[in-house]
Amino acid sequence: MSVQEPTYTFDGLPIEGVDPGTNILVTGPALGGVRELTMRMLLRRHSREGALVLAADVDGRQALTDYESMGGDLDFARVGVVDCTENGSDDTECNVHAVGSPADLTGAGIEFSSLYERIHANGAGRVRTGVYTLSPFVVYAPAKSVFRFVHTLTGRIRTADGLGVCAIDPSAVDDQTLSSVAQAFDGKVELREADGQRAVRVRGLPDQPDDWQPVEFDTA
Amino acid sequence: MRELTVLCVGPDEDERAATREALVSDGAVTVTEARSVAEAGDALDAGGVDCVVTAYDLPDGTGLDVAARVRETTPDTPCILFTDAAPGRIDTADREDVVVEYLPRDMPGAREALARMVGNLVDQRTQVGYPLPTREDERLAALEQYDRPGMDAADAFDRLTTLAREYFDVDVAFVGLIDAHEERFLACAGADWETLTREDSMCTHTILRDDLMIVEDTHEDDRFADNDRLDDLGIRAYAGVPLETPRGATIGAFCLTHDEPRSFSEAELADLRRFAAEAMDQLELRRQLNECEAERDAGEATGTGDGGDGP
Repeated sequence: MSVQEPTYTFDGLPIEGVDPGTNILVTGPALGGVRELTMRMLLRRHSREGALVLAADVDGRQALTDYESMGGDLDFARVGVVDCTENGSDDTECNVHAVGSPADLTGAGIEFSSLYERIHANGAGRVRTGVYTLSPFVVYAPAKSVFRFVHTLTGRIRTADGLGVCAIDPSAVDDQTLSSVAQAFDGKVELREADGQRAVRVRGLPDQPDDWQPVEFDTA
Repeated sequence: MRELTVLCVGPDEDERAATREALVSDGAVTVTEARSVAEAGDALDAGGVDCVVTAYDLPDGTGLDVAARVRETTPDTPCILFTDAAPGRIDTADREDVVVEYLPRDMPGAREALARMVGNLVDQRTQVGYPLPTREDERLAALEQYDRPGMDAADAFDRLTTLAREYFDVDVAFVGLIDAHEERFLACAGADWETLTREDSMCTHTILRDDLMIVEDTHEDDRFADNDRLDDLGIRAYAGVPLETPRGATIGAFCLTHDEPRSFSEAELADLRRFAAEAMDQLELRRQLNECEAERDAGEATGTGDGGDGP
C-alpha cells in the first residue's frame, strides 16, 4: 500500500496544503470565478484520491464538465456527483445521483453518505468533497435543517480525514446567515475580482499567506 | 467517558441483537430497543437517548418517521439510518428537513463502522440545527461554574427583567443561560417561558458574537424567518446582549423581545448593555460566594478551617 500524502495540496493556486479533515468555506461572486476555484481545489493529486461534488447551482453533468475543464480526471469509480438541482436526473454511467430538489436536505445527505462510502470502497483513501454551492440550500430549506446538514457534511469529512470545499455566494444570503454558517468550517478562502484581476485570500487556516494573492484559472 | 444510551430501532430481532452486540462491545454504550415507529416514540418520550440507530423499513412507517420524532422531541439527538435499502428506495417526501446519517448495513465492517459513527456523532454534536461556538466544550465547562444548586438569583433577576421590560416598553425581558441543548430562562418578565430548544433560541446566535445581536423583524432574517416557534411565542423583534464571564466565556444573554417589528436606538442599546453587565455581575458575585462557601466547607470537613477569613 502506498503512503498517502500528509496533506491536501492545491497545485497552481496560492493556497498552501491543508491537513486531512479540513473543511473550507469558499466565498465569492457566482460569476467571478468561484466555480472555477472550487473545482480547482477538488482536483485529485493522485489516483487514490476521490472527488465528490454536491451540485446545487448546476446539474450533475455540468458539474462534471466544469471539473474536467479545470483539469479533473473523470475516473467514475472515484469521482461522482450528487445532483441537488430541481428535477435533476440519475446518470449511472457518470456516477451522478439525483436528489430532485435543493430543499431535500435529507435526500442530499443520504446520497452524499452513500456515494462517499462507495468512492472510499473503490480505493480512494482520501476524498475531496465540494459543494457548488450552498446558496440554494440556504434559500430553499429551513435554516435549522441547513445548519444540521452542514454539520453532518463537515462532520463526516472531518472524521474520514477528507477535504471539504463548500462554495457560497455572499450576495445570495444575508451577512448574518453567512457568518453563522461559517462557524462550521475550519477556515475560509475569499475570492474577489478587482480591475480585471482575480485574487484569493485565506482566513483561519494555519501557515497560509496573509494577503490577497493573484490567481488565474486557465481551463484545460 | 460517560456511558451513552443508544436507541436501536428495527423489526428484526436478530439484526437488532447483532447491532446491539457491536455497539456495547467497547463497554461505554447501553442499548434500548424498539421494533416500530410507535415504540421508538415511546422510548424517546421516556428521555435519556443519546443517539438513535434505525432500520428503514418498519411495520408502521420508516426510519425517517423515527427521525422526525427525534427532531420533535430532542432535536439535537443524532440519528443514523442503518439499512440495506439503497438511497433510491428511500422516500424522503415530507421528511426533507430531518437530516440523518446514512450507513449501508450490507457493506463490509458495517457494524464496526456504526459503533465508531455513534461515538463521533455524539462527541462532535454533528446533527445540531444551529451554529456551535468555536470552543463549545470550554463554554459549557464555564457555564457549570455559574449554574449550580444554591446559586438561585431568581429574585434579583426578576427585579432586573421587570425593570428592563418597563424601561424599554417591550413585551418581554429575560435572562437566559444556554446549556448544551436548551436555553433556560433564569427570569422572564412578561412571559412564563422556562426552556427553549437551542435550535429555536435566538440567543444561541447571540452567544457567537462579541457584541449584541439585534433583529428588528424576525420575518426578514433568513436565520429566523421559518422558525414557527418564535411566532408561537410572539417574538417578532429581538435585542440580546451576550453575558460574558470575566474569563471570556459567553454563557447566556440578557434580552428583550417584542411582538411587532421594532428598532432600538443607540441610547437604548447602551442601556441594554448596562442591564446585561449588571446581570453578569450578579452571576459572578454568586459564583464567587459559592466558591468561598465550598472552600470553607471543605476546610471545615478536613479540620483546617479557622473560620477567621469571613467578611
